[in-house]
Amino acid sequence: MDKKTIFSTSNDTIFKLKILAEEKESVRRKLVVTANMLSLKAKQLAATAKEKENVRRKLLITAEKLKKSRETLEKKVLERTKSLEMARAKEEAILLSIGDGLIATDKIGKIILMNKTAEKLLERKSTDVVGKVFYKTISLEDERGVVIPLEKDPVSIALHTNTTVATNTTDPIYYTRKNKTKIPLAIMVTPVILNKKVIGTIKVFRDITNERQIDKAKTEFVSLASHQLRTPLSTVNWYAEMLLAGDVGELNPKQQKYLEEVYHSNQRMVELVNALLDVSRLELGTFTMEPKPTDITELTQNVIDEQRPQINTKVINFSFSSEKIPLINADPKLLRMVVQNILSNAVKYTPKKGKIRMSISLKDKKNVLLKVTDTGYGIPKNQHSKIFLKLFRADNVRDKDTDGTGLGLYIVKSIVENSGGKIWFESPKENRGTKFFVSFPVNGMIKKLS
Amino acid sequence: MDNTKKTILIVEDEKSLRGALVDFLLAKNFIPIEAKNGREGVQIALSKHPDLILLDIIMPEMDGMASLKKIREDSWGEKVPVIILTNLSASKEQLIDYKIPSRPTYYLIKSDWKLYDIVKKIESILENK
Repeated sequence: MDKKTIFSTSNDTIFKLKILAEEKESVRRKLVVTANMLSLKAKQLAATAKEKENVRRKLLITAEKLKKSRETLEKKVLERTKSLEMARAKEEAILLSIGDGLIATDKIGKIILMNKTAEKLLERKSTDVVGKVFYKTISLEDERGVVIPLEKDPVSIALHTNTTVATNTTDPIYYTRKNKTKIPLAIMVTPVILNKKVIGTIKVFRDITNERQIDKAKTEFVSLASHQLRTPLSTVNWYAEMLLAGDVGELNPKQQKYLEEVYHSNQRMVELVNALLDVSRLELGTFTMEPKPTDITELTQNVIDEQRPQINTKVINFSFSSEKIPLINADPKLLRMVVQNILSNAVKYTPKKGKIRMSISLKDKKNVLLKVTDTGYGIPKNQHSKIFLKLFRADNVRDKDTDGTGLGLYIVKSIVENSGGKIWFESPKENRGTKFFVSFPVNGMIKKLS
Repeated sequence: MDNTKKTILIVEDEKSLRGALVDFLLAKNFIPIEAKNGREGVQIALSKHPDLILLDIIMPEMDGMASLKKIREDSWGEKVPVIILTNLSASKEQLIDYKIPSRPTYYLIKSDWKLYDIVKKIESILENK
């Protein structure tokens, strides 16, 4: 090839090479740009990845935390449930283990709980009585074995009156077990109140056989002691009587007076002993009651005649009226004690020139009402509830009449109630008098021999 | 009334009470006879046949109710008036005899009765005999 050709060829090639180089350069540039972009993207991706990793880590931590707190919560709930169960079991154990019998009812009287002592006392299984109506399941009786009617049942009284009802040891309620043994019970029923509403009752009771025996022994002792006391009292009575009658010679006036004091005091002692014996007979249930048709008007007139001297001494304005009363079936000896006590109290506790009104009427066809109104000292209001208690004497009369025994009204009430009658009084204010009322069923007392 | 020669048997273990009864009955012209317990009382009653017997209940040896039973078993003793003079309150068993009219039995509480009233009672029983 010629030089020119070579040259031109070389020029051409150079040119071509130049272009190629330029192209290459451009490609390289582009590549650089791309590389740069890629590098940027890579950086961005790396950053995102890092962020994601962070989030993931955080999530993991949170999850861990959640798991932990859930576990703690579960543990706590478990613990709380356990302690609640323990508390409940403890409460129930306390209730069930109480040394007295315990029965809880709901507001309609259905038994919801009965403790172990109650099970033992009544010889009934808790499972047999729970869910049943108390009144129909465990029936109570009075001393004579008569089932206590629903309206007098302590549980129903507590439910209806919203008050605590308690029986006492002297007037127990009885329960007869399946094997026919009878146990005396002292019962206290308290209404259970929630948000001011009665939601049920709690009945606590115990066997008072021992107390009853002790009480009986005490009464028997009083009876025995009283009988023994009567012997020396009779001796004093009889010898004083002979001396006072001048059987062994005339007494001078001073001797006469002193001996009268002795005799009078001895009489008081005899009366006290007699009253104590009446009380012990009433309490032992050995009082004989022999009812027969009795004219209460005539009997009352006799009592009035007997007390006429005292009525006259005190210049008391006294009147007695009586409707026509049929013969009532009563033990005249006991009825007499009642009338005597009520009238002598009125006479004793009415000042001179006072007024006493006595009347007998037919309250309805079934009951006779004896009413004694006086204008005497009255009974202090705060002692109204105690006036029929044994040996109680009201403050305002204790120094006015020192002879009283505090047994009269106790005896009267026992007799009246044993005869199916009622006794009550009104005394609105001190020194404004007292009204005593005694109502007796015409059919009267039930025969009872010791 | 003339109480002379009326004999009254007092069956009572308490000396002081027996003494008071004896003195008072003597003063009222009765002839009192004393017995210190139930056994003696039955013996004397059945041998001396008093007009009336005052009988205590609680006594040693033989008590009043057992004595009364013995006396009532006798044909004379069945009809003799007996006043149970006691400080016990009567119970049902003690009053059984009391209800039989052919066996005149009375029942008085010592501490409630004056000697004067006891003698009145004795006189009225003897009068109606």
